[in-house]
Amino acid sequence: MSEQIVIVGFGPVAARLVDELLPGVRAGQVGVTVIGQEADAAYNRVLVADLGVGRTTPEALALADAAALAADGVDVRLGVKVKRVDRARQNVILSDGTSAHYDRLVFATGSRPVIPNLTGINPDPAAPVLPEGVTALRDLRDAEVLRKAVAGRKRVVVLGGGVLGLETALAAAEEGATVTVVHNGPHPLGRNIDRGGGAVLAASLRNCGVRVAGNARSTGVEHNAPDGGFSALLLHDGSAIDGDLLVLSCGVRPRTELAEGCGLSTGTGILVDHRLRAHHEPHIFAIGDCAEVRCPEPECIECRTARGPSGLVGPGWRQAEWLAEYLLLLAGGPQEDADSLPALPQEKPGVIVLKARGMNMAAAGDNSAEPWDEEVLTAGAVNGRPRLQIAQWADPEHGRYVKMTTRGGVLEGLVSVGMPRTAGELVQLFERGAELPADRSLLLRLDGPDQLASAGASSDPESTVCRCAGVSGGKITEAVTGGCSTVAEVSSATRAGTGCGGCHEDIKGLIEKHFQAAAA
Amino acid sequence: MTKSADTHCPYCALQCAMTLKSPAALTPAVQPGSEPVPAAPALEVSGREFPTNRGGLCRKGWTSASLLHHPGRVTEPMLKGPDGVHRPITWDEALARITTAVKDTRAKYGADAVGVFGGGGLTNEKAYQLGKFARIALGTSRIDYNGRFCMSSAAAAGMRSFGLDRGLPFPLEALDTASTIMMLGSNVAETMPPFVQHLQGVRDASGLIVVDPRRSATAAFTADGGGLHLQPLPGTDLTLLLGLAHVVIHEGLVDTDYVQARTNGYDALVRSVNAFWPERVQSITGVPADLIRETARRLADGARRGGSYILTGRGVEQHVDGTDTATAAINLSLLLGLPGTARSGYGTLTGQGNGQGGREHGQKADQLPGYRKITDPAARAHMAKVWNVPEDLIPGPGLPAVQLLKSLGQPDGVRCLFVHASNIAVASPDANSVIDGLRSLDFLMVCDFFMSETAAEADLVLPVLQWAEEEGTLTNLEGRVLRRRQAIQPPAGARSELWIMSQLAEALDAPSTFSDDPETVFEELRLASAGGLADYSGIDYAMLGKGEAAYWPYPAGSTGTPRLFLDAFAHAGGKAVMTPVAPRRRRTPAANTDPAAKTMTLITGRLLEHYQSGAQTRRVSELLASQPEARMQIHPAAAASMGITDGALVSVANERGEVVCRAELSTAIRPETVFLPFHFPELESANRLTEAATDPISGMPEFKFNKVWVRLAANVLNTSVLQTSEAS
Repeated sequence: MSEQIVIVGFGPVAARLVDELLPGVRAGQVGVTVIGQEADAAYNRVLVADLGVGRTTPEALALADAAALAADGVDVRLGVKVKRVDRARQNVILSDGTSAHYDRLVFATGSRPVIPNLTGINPDPAAPVLPEGVTALRDLRDAEVLRKAVAGRKRVVVLGGGVLGLETALAAAEEGATVTVVHNGPHPLGRNIDRGGGAVLAASLRNCGVRVAGNARSTGVEHNAPDGGFSALLLHDGSAIDGDLLVLSCGVRPRTELAEGCGLSTGTGILVDHRLRAHHEPHIFAIGDCAEVRCPEPECIECRTARGPSGLVGPGWRQAEWLAEYLLLLAGGPQEDADSLPALPQEKPGVIVLKARGMNMAAAGDNSAEPWDEEVLTAGAVNGRPRLQIAQWADPEHGRYVKMTTRGGVLEGLVSVGMPRTAGELVQLFERGAELPADRSLLLRLDGPDQLASAGASSDPESTVCRCAGVSGGKITEAVTGGCSTVAEVSSATRAGTGCGGCHEDIKGLIEKHFQAAAA
Repeated sequence: MTKSADTHCPYCALQCAMTLKSPAALTPAVQPGSEPVPAAPALEVSGREFPTNRGGLCRKGWTSASLLHHPGRVTEPMLKGPDGVHRPITWDEALARITTAVKDTRAKYGADAVGVFGGGGLTNEKAYQLGKFARIALGTSRIDYNGRFCMSSAAAAGMRSFGLDRGLPFPLEALDTASTIMMLGSNVAETMPPFVQHLQGVRDASGLIVVDPRRSATAAFTADGGGLHLQPLPGTDLTLLLGLAHVVIHEGLVDTDYVQARTNGYDALVRSVNAFWPERVQSITGVPADLIRETARRLADGARRGGSYILTGRGVEQHVDGTDTATAAINLSLLLGLPGTARSGYGTLTGQGNGQGGREHGQKADQLPGYRKITDPAARAHMAKVWNVPEDLIPGPGLPAVQLLKSLGQPDGVRCLFVHASNIAVASPDANSVIDGLRSLDFLMVCDFFMSETAAEADLVLPVLQWAEEEGTLTNLEGRVLRRRQAIQPPAGARSELWIMSQLAEALDAPSTFSDDPETVFEELRLASAGGLADYSGIDYAMLGKGEAAYWPYPAGSTGTPRLFLDAFAHAGGKAVMTPVAPRRRRTPAANTDPAAKTMTLITGRLLEHYQSGAQTRRVSELLASQPEARMQIHPAAAASMGITDGALVSVANERGEVVCRAELSTAIRPETVFLPFHFPELESANRLTEAATDPISGMPEFKFNKVWVRLAANVLNTSVLQTSEAS
């Protein structure tokens, strides 16, 4: 009898897990049941905002095909919820009255949007009923609501200055909606970037046509639209921001209630060890947004500095790939063999790259220190550990800002606004933990026009003009002095220009130069 | 009497047309192997008008004739004595020794203990006959060739997607009028300079897109409005291509009618690229998201105007995921509706002179002539009939090159090896191990006209002919079959490989026939290829001699196929297949044990002045003077942090070996990457560092993504001096 794996949840992370388990399913090594609450198979939630502004289609968002999976032998159950987990009998009981036995159970229940405490919105976090004209932009139906507003060039109010809020705002504005971003704190992306970066970012957002209302604490929503729907967001200072659609983008929270209901330990998310196994429960695992890697060992140094779930899909996918390999090993042999698979390394702090056209922003790590904060920079620099160093470039007029926070030459934080090549390189360096060049300005010049210019013809007679035939400018001038007056003549005398022909203009230039000099 | 021969360059797959002129009248062609007349004086080379090179030649072509009378040429069979010195012997003795070695090895270890290693520089006739010779004269399945190191990934991808692999499924001139051309991992400005003429139009249209981690000479063409340069981290090309496909799908740039009518697998492909949105791809590749979008849009836009082409080269193919990377490039081209249309397409740029023909006629471990599969019963029956042998005499599939070389001297491995047109001691991955393998053989026979690094290891070196000394055909990068003409008499003592095979076949009492006449062999190749994918049955020497543009498939009675797939792809049902691919996790390289060294990524490649292992071009004084030694390209910022200055001696090492050479500082390379040319031997041999890990589908080794430990070499010398003094 093959080992039965039940996966609760069918989002992007679960889809990757199923994909990676497929070879085992086809080989009859494991049986896989995947249970999704939505009627659709997994789709790419990261792109829901793009769908909401009409930039892509639901078909293009698909990450799994239920029919194809079923044909491969996967038991796909859509539109049902897991009511509870019977750990004693290793059963999950579903909302449609059926149940499924598991040898291994994987929670991939993801997260749900945080619904802020606003008057006019039902505060029950587990089952919020959002009024007409208010959406949390999480699933395909939410996308449809946004799409209608954008297509109608309506006024969209985005509550939340996080990365998802900004992406939605930029996309909706570019597609023709009138958009206002409302956030608390002095600048958007408050948790990810510093003041300078935030200021340049806010200016760039305004340049892209997005209105930004900072330092705003919202208190409630007003429903005075003709259909009784949303009409304005009310702020604590008594003012109101009018709009036709309110998009709530206030972060997400892991969905842990099912795990809690069956007695598993939870913190921010479902607590799992370095093998993604629930504490003290060898049959249950959790991955993705709902999982919090924090092992039960109090001495574990890694877990002392661990953050909660990242809310990013990349780490979840890496967990899915690793867990699939581990589960297949477990199904194929003794526990010790499976445990020889090295545990997944700890995730680096997430990198945030703003998904937007025509605007570029990347940030990662801790960017709170400023270049002259001696106290902050030297804190923790003991026992030979180098202090923090900051290099910074600010050009608000042109919407450019870069800050590199390093320790021992390695990035601990980065902000880059308006400099795409620099952002690409810095993110690379951050993820690899590689040392930056001592001349940090090198990284700033990547976006400069001088990087794109060709070398051009050098006036040094020793320098090669024709690479194909290896002929120097001096030799060509010699041939011209010796009587050649056309490119063809120079070519037959020196072979210059006889390969790719790319240097014909340069040869012509040298001929002209010679005759001009002669005439003068 | 003619005073000149119209032929083609001996080097790369562009096969530039050239004319060889001799001051004296040329003697008419004679049968190779007949009594040669004294060699004529040096030939004069000139470019000849032809669609691929338009009269242009590069330095290699211009200087190619200087090797014909090179003093270092091997002109007699050379036997290695017990003292390790090669001394001349007669042909009779040489052939007898080979026959004995083959018979002894077969008797002791079985027929598969004799191996054959061929090359993409062999003419069609020799490649065909070598495959036949291995299988029915030697009776071994152990034959493969150096094209496994070049074209196997793109070939496997083309087969998987289109059902057929011809490097460029369109004439090169088609590029002239394109609006957008994307070249991935190909540096034609150095590797085949006259090709660049075909990029002028697209540069004028600002439509050239070059993907290369280095700012190569080709990438520099994108400057000043010529187009775009995408500079991904080495080893991330596949992710970049998935990102481009993502943008094409999500921005509605898919040619939906084409995809519907001409492809299978669209839905699964959509799901597979979904996870690769531009910002995520930026985080992996370092290529800005907007540049990825811009590239996708230009490709789509070009397809609607003058045409779009996607071309891949070894830079993206020579990886353990090379087949998948080439497949991703093809998938992208299929989404955009490029292949099999009148003005657009996908192609791979074949490198070696006969890299195309060399992969069609049965030199590959898994293949029979006509690009047939050796495991296909119908193919075996066909070849048995052509060769007039029982079907079960044809062995099954052998081992691809890397595995073949790993088996040298091993139990159940190859004990007696024939090497043709290949310098495996320099050109193979993990070259140190290959050299160890060569030294562990019972018998090594190498056919070459110079004492190459591989020949130097041989028990017996047989002197063979150079390109201007014999007749034959080659198939260029477009799939066009060309005639190579004899212009000069070979040196006394050198013989054609066809003659050598015919002599050995006779000595070994082989069935079937082995002619030493190129045209006779070509006539047999026509029959053998008839009905196969690469069908040459309608091509003959006379029509090629008249310069007819013969593109395969060219079945008898047809006029050939300049542009493939216009009506249908070669899969049953006529549709192209989109196979979803995804990046795999890479193995973890060995840890750097040298605290003074910095771990960097090594990429390898070519210089304009040299060809392949350099066995020929390092012997041309003009080329050697220009590039006398390997230089490791490194970014000044990286160099500064290690105290490396321009021209300083550096050590580049890893768990497989060490290279010591001079550093060349250049901002054209990424700061975490170094570049080494692979044309040099011994301490400068880049392939001492490359890993013999292979692509699971094509058997292609990992040449372009290896971890190395770089440092100033002065330290190495000091430490070794120190150790010596301590020991003494």
